Amino acid sequence: MNHHDVLRFDDVTVCYGPTPAVHHLTAELPCGSLVALMGPNGAGKSTLLRTILGWHRLTTGSITIGGQPCRKARRRIGYLPQRAAVDWDFPVTVRDVVAMGRYQVLGPFRGFRREDHAVVDAAIAEMGLEWLADRQIAALSGGQQQRTFLARAVASGADIFLLDEPFAGLDPSSTADLVRRLQAWAKAGRLVVTVVHDIELARRFFPQALLVRASLIAAGATADVLAERNLAKAYGASHVAERSIASVIKPPVVPSLGASLRDPRVRTGKRESPS
Amino acid sequence: MSDVLTTLLAPEHRFLWRAAALCVLLGVSSSMLGCVLVVRRLSLMGDALAHSLLPGVGIAWLLIGTSLPALLVGGLTAGLVTALASGLISRLTRVKEDAAFAALFIGLFGLGVALVSKAGAPVDLLHFLFGNILGVGPEDLWLAAGVSSFTVAIFALFYRSILLECFDPAYHRASGGWSMVTHLGLLSLVVLNLVAALHALGGVLALGLFMLPAVTAYLWCDRWGAMLFFAATYSVIGSLLGLWLSVQASLASGPAMVLVLSAGFLLSCIFSPRHGLIRRVLHPEHHHREDSDEHCEAPGHHHDA
Repeated sequence: MNHHDVLRFDDVTVCYGPTPAVHHLTAELPCGSLVALMGPNGAGKSTLLRTILGWHRLTTGSITIGGQPCRKARRRIGYLPQRAAVDWDFPVTVRDVVAMGRYQVLGPFRGFRREDHAVVDAAIAEMGLEWLADRQIAALSGGQQQRTFLARAVASGADIFLLDEPFAGLDPSSTADLVRRLQAWAKAGRLVVTVVHDIELARRFFPQALLVRASLIAAGATADVLAERNLAKAYGASHVAERSIASVIKPPVVPSLGASLRDPRVRTGKRESPS
Repeated sequence: MSDVLTTLLAPEHRFLWRAAALCVLLGVSSSMLGCVLVVRRLSLMGDALAHSLLPGVGIAWLLIGTSLPALLVGGLTAGLVTALASGLISRLTRVKEDAAFAALFIGLFGLGVALVSKAGAPVDLLHFLFGNILGVGPEDLWLAAGVSSFTVAIFALFYRSILLECFDPAYHRASGGWSMVTHLGLLSLVVLNLVAALHALGGVLALGLFMLPAVTAYLWCDRWGAMLFFAATYSVIGSLLGLWLSVQASLASGPAMVLVLSAGFLLSCIFSPRHGLIRRVLHPEHHHREDSDEHCEAPGHHHDA
């Protein structure tokens, strides 16, 4: 394994308040993998992502990217915030948001050169947003909004992507679209770490998984990580019952997902509720 | 009409031209800062800050007397202390920033009233606090020109930092920007502009120039640069129109300007083509997001399978 291409957690502990949100976690995620970061609410999934970004201080251990501390490899990291964290009414267009990715490279003062504009255009095209580029961001669907922020990360030159609950509130066709893009990124050698809540979704589309509940429960191939005894350890014994209740209440996500993966014209008729 | 013009151009009305110049200068910079406050949901902060200046001004007046620089420095200090202290309280305790502001400004305003009433404030101090637009002197104009051009220069120079800080402070921090410095810098600019405006224009008009153009621009603009430009332009046009109206209808100048700016805001609420009332009543379906179905939106747009 090329040393350059590993995101490594070494004995990571993060505290805010008296109890650690994450403790003594050690794991290695190589580039080229698509990783589902899973665990119950409050298990420290978001904390872990934000620690990679440098928002929380480490109490013990280190996080390195290709052997370098994260701080030095900041430009390689692209982050998709939770949807609720964004002010969608802010007066910016899709292109404005994507251009912010270049600010990270250019700093506050250096002007946009022709190649910077080209990078922005390419990122917009990669996410299939060309015809939406001049729209204000509230006038987009949930999936398009997410693609806008992913395009920003692409424009900043990132090759390690951290996505915090990207599937929350997405309809099945948008979910399928996002999954396809993430798969393509991993195939192209990028590292994609995604907070996922839906166990079936993770099983189906994410080759790797990281299961945490403050400390690491399991990491590796998804089928092994999400074995029943690990799930019981992470979610408690009640998880099986809860999931079967959930499958009664919720529309069956997985079959329609599969269907729309096969047939891109499938319409679900389900609208996302505006947040 | 021509009568009014002749009156206006008479040399004894030079004070009117000074008032107009002052409104234009401070209107441009204040409205840009107003845009920051509107998008950051801190719109009432200008109001709170204006009240919290009083004790600083009062103390400066008690110590040094009626000297413009002393009063300005006093007000500036009090405002900055309020802004920084509420920033600190919100980070170090459970109290949120807006609540910290409210708590501090009420206390400080009380202190200011106590000081000023104990000392028996003379008319010139009252003018300083409540403004007298038609008493604008050349030194006020120089101050306004300095504050305004400084503010506009900062906005031009730090456009990216300000945009990132307003839109996505977490991303700003994560990408290595000086988020905290930008935030406190913006607060300091607000205090600076407020002190300069309050003293010449009084509370109502000063806050009017901050908030009304910005919130009107918010109804019309879908890009940040456009919003800043719109707010500044609207502020200039609105205040000049208000001043002209006040002369013609012999109304008080400050309130006349505020009324004109408010009228524009209310009309925008109703008629704004994308975010106004009529639009939302006529197109309730489209008022927030368009249909989320990815596959029927782009004619000729193909997904690679």
